Amino acid sequence: MNSQSQSQSQSQRRKNFKIEAFKHKVELDPKYAERTWKVLEHAIHEIYNNNASRLSFEELYRSAYNMVLHKYGDKLYSGLVATMTAHLNKIAKSVESAQGGLFLEKLNHKWADHNKALQMIRDILMYMDRSYVPTSHKTPVHELGLNLWRDHIIHSPNIQARLQDTLLDLVQRERTGDVINRGLMRNITKMLMDLGSSVYQDDFEKPFLDVSASFYSGESQQFIECCDCGSYLKKAERRLNEEMERVSHYLDAKTEVKITSAVEREMIANHMQRLVHMDNSGLVNMLIDDKYDDLSRMYSLFKRVPEGLSTIRDVMTSYLRERGRVLVTDTERLKDPVEFVQCLLNEKDKHDKIISTAFNNDKTFQNALNSSFEYFINLNNRSPEFISLYLDDKLRKGLKGASEEEVEVVLDKVMMLFRYLQEKDVFEKYYKQHLAKRLLSGKTVSDDAERSMIVKLKTECGYQFTSKLEGMFTDMKTSEDTMLDFYAKQSAELGDGPTLAVQILTTGSWPTQLTAACNLPPEILTVCEKFRTYYLGTHSGRRLTWQTNMGTADIKATFGKGHKHELNVSTYQMCVLMLFNSADGLTYREIEQATEIPALDLKRCLQSLACVKGKNVLRKEPMSKDISEEDVFYFNDKFTSKFVKVKIGTVVAQKESEPEKQETRQRVEEDRKPQIEAAIVRIMKSRRVLDHNSIVAEVTKQLQSRFLPNPVVIKKRIESLIEREFLERDKADRKLYRYLA
Amino acid sequence: MMSKLGRGQKDKVQQFMAITGASEKVALQALKASDWHLEGAFDIFYSQPQIRAVTDTRHLEELYKRYRDPDVDMILVEGISLLCNDLQVDPQDIVMLVLSWHMKAATMCEFSCQEFIGGLQSLGVDSIPKLREKLPSLRNELRDEHKFREIYNFAFSWAREKGQKPLALDTALGMWRLLFSEKHWPLVEHWCQFLQVRHNKAISRDTWSQLLEFVKTIDPQLSNYDEEGAWPYLIDEFVEYLTENGIVPSRK
Repeated sequence: MNSQSQSQSQSQRRKNFKIEAFKHKVELDPKYAERTWKVLEHAIHEIYNNNASRLSFEELYRSAYNMVLHKYGDKLYSGLVATMTAHLNKIAKSVESAQGGLFLEKLNHKWADHNKALQMIRDILMYMDRSYVPTSHKTPVHELGLNLWRDHIIHSPNIQARLQDTLLDLVQRERTGDVINRGLMRNITKMLMDLGSSVYQDDFEKPFLDVSASFYSGESQQFIECCDCGSYLKKAERRLNEEMERVSHYLDAKTEVKITSAVEREMIANHMQRLVHMDNSGLVNMLIDDKYDDLSRMYSLFKRVPEGLSTIRDVMTSYLRERGRVLVTDTERLKDPVEFVQCLLNEKDKHDKIISTAFNNDKTFQNALNSSFEYFINLNNRSPEFISLYLDDKLRKGLKGASEEEVEVVLDKVMMLFRYLQEKDVFEKYYKQHLAKRLLSGKTVSDDAERSMIVKLKTECGYQFTSKLEGMFTDMKTSEDTMLDFYAKQSAELGDGPTLAVQILTTGSWPTQLTAACNLPPEILTVCEKFRTYYLGTHSGRRLTWQTNMGTADIKATFGKGHKHELNVSTYQMCVLMLFNSADGLTYREIEQATEIPALDLKRCLQSLACVKGKNVLRKEPMSKDISEEDVFYFNDKFTSKFVKVKIGTVVAQKESEPEKQETRQRVEEDRKPQIEAAIVRIMKSRRVLDHNSIVAEVTKQLQSRFLPNPVVIKKRIESLIEREFLERDKADRKLYRYLA
Repeated sequence: MMSKLGRGQKDKVQQFMAITGASEKVALQALKASDWHLEGAFDIFYSQPQIRAVTDTRHLEELYKRYRDPDVDMILVEGISLLCNDLQVDPQDIVMLVLSWHMKAATMCEFSCQEFIGGLQSLGVDSIPKLREKLPSLRNELRDEHKFREIYNFAFSWAREKGQKPLALDTALGMWRLLFSEKHWPLVEHWCQFLQVRHNKAISRDTWSQLLEFVKTIDPQLSNYDEEGAWPYLIDEFVEYLTENGIVPSRK
């Protein structure tokens, strides 16, 4: 505009020299437009007839440009549409006439041609595409070309159905084992995608999915009638992989998830229950036979469908619970506690391996395993005792010669079982008893192993659980030191008497055994008294009580023909045997009177001295198996053994007899009462007012690491606390309790 | 008390006492309750017949002397026997329990001087004939829900042996039979049998008081009994006992 103004100002100087717009238009006369169009039309024909090489791009472009410029865009556009349509109709007929397998090839070929043509046409008509098309809201050339192809070829009545059928037929053939032209398929499906995803979906994908669904529905029905579970799953996996491969080779990527879910639904989801429960080959059989491959396959296949994994998990859980229930109630197996626990450990190992190998270490499966174990272990209320006995066996002899790692592995595995126990306080009671026997008899495989176990229990249950156990170890050490000192100071006075080794046990740390002391032989009594005096001299204010049911003794015995043996016996046994120094034969009652050993213990003691082959240092009349109060006992002169040292002690931890078991259980119940009360008081002190059910829930939660409190017992404790005026019922709502400060 | 009142209020009290013959305490009560309106106070006074009667302290002291034990300053078993005789009432009669309640007696079979005199005063009687007249209304009090509960709970501490926290079983059974023949409970015999067979120990206060709630709220067929109802464990066991023996329909 600058020059104009300049010229204007110039013109003003020059007096009214105007520059005006073109007065005369360069009109394109209609005949010219028609002529131009004809040129272009001809070009389009040539392009379609593959004769494009002779055309001048520049000239054609200019022609089109001019038409648009001179407002003949409409004519150009509608001409284009008409021309292309005419060609496409011809192409359609050509494709329709193709026979059999050539149909698709023809279609593919013509499609390629059309695309090439379209490109050229678009280039020629680019100006129209850019200026006329947007302003008149017409479809751009390329898209127009595609739409026309779609409407006149793909959706032509004689082609549409045939195309679909042909494609689906090829897929079917490939599924049944034929080899097909995948490249051709890919081109066709790509063509459909290019025409628009709705074309692909409506003309191919939807029918494809429908047909596939019914195909797999039929096939799965067939398979499931004749295959076992493992084979079926293999087939399903194969089909699934096939479909994914199919998609990658000649279908649109978005089809993958649709076809795979169809296969998953037909082959897996619809038959899940039947597969899992199949006789002789279902999930349970796979678990029993450790079929890792099959299980792994089942897991990855079922993972794909809703509720798949939970189906596996539920069946596994109910199987485990039932199996576990059978194990823990099997009376034969229960006769050997160590075997029993080993069995449980084996089951755990087996299923751990299955979960890690085949189930991808899936946490939900681990949880199901844990809850199943927790369920059945607690079905047998002797489980805590038996686990302690198992540990006793291992720590006493089973782990002899094992490396540190091996020991840790075993202990850790047992700890897993321990964690499942609901009544951990019962375990504690037994463990204490068994540990006491091990320590006192000196029969422990490794001090380190013992301590390692204590550490594990402490980590799991806290300091309180293990403080007494640790006290036991301390007592043992202290006793050692005490004995050294005793002998150092007293050796002159003791002279030739029996050598004494005392273990001083702190009451409270050790399991309480209220037994009256028996009558010790005079030689023993003397040295014991000397010790007592010595000890109380340095520890005044303490009280010592001999635990004669827990000691051991080594006796030198001379039998007939001068055979000498050293007998390792319990204290009770020693008391009995020493009597035979002054008598050859004694009745049961005489022995009882002289020793004052409690009846049950005495019978056990005499049985071990007189009725066990290879250890019968006493002879009994009559020679029956059991001890009766009428029996008479004699020193067995004829005793022989190939060992010089003979062990007859009976201080090994054993499965409790029924009355002993009742007693232990009773003590456990008594111990629980104050714990429950303490929990109630703690809770009420902080909450002040609380309803009954909430108290029960809170108490259970607080105590669950030790035992599962019985709600009736909790109720009784609450009433006891009401009676003792720690709590009261709310006046308005009788279900509420109040804390009384 | 009077010193804290204004002149107008003091006048009203005097007036009230003159007209009704009531004691100063009663006058104050009535007037306070009616917000110092004399008319309202009269209404209140005359609608509560117990307060109306005036008692003569001297008569009461005479009465006490009649029943008092020669060696101890208490009315003991013999005195009570005599009292019952005078009243023409069986010593086992439940009305004696109601009477003891009015007296706020600490232990059964004895009344202290304070308890005896205070109790009769609160009843507004000062002679045996007057007391005898009152007996029917005392009996009636058992029909009042509220009062029955108070009397029932009172009975626990009253029937206890001195120095004992729980109530001896035999005594409890006797009391229950007595109380629940008044307020009819069809299961009372079963309850007593159950306790003798299964429990055979003393009864705690909580169990005692909760039993009344049980009787009041749970129907004899136990259709609305709730295991989660925080009932004392004895009552839970009783329910089990009834179900086991087919006395009530099975709960499943």
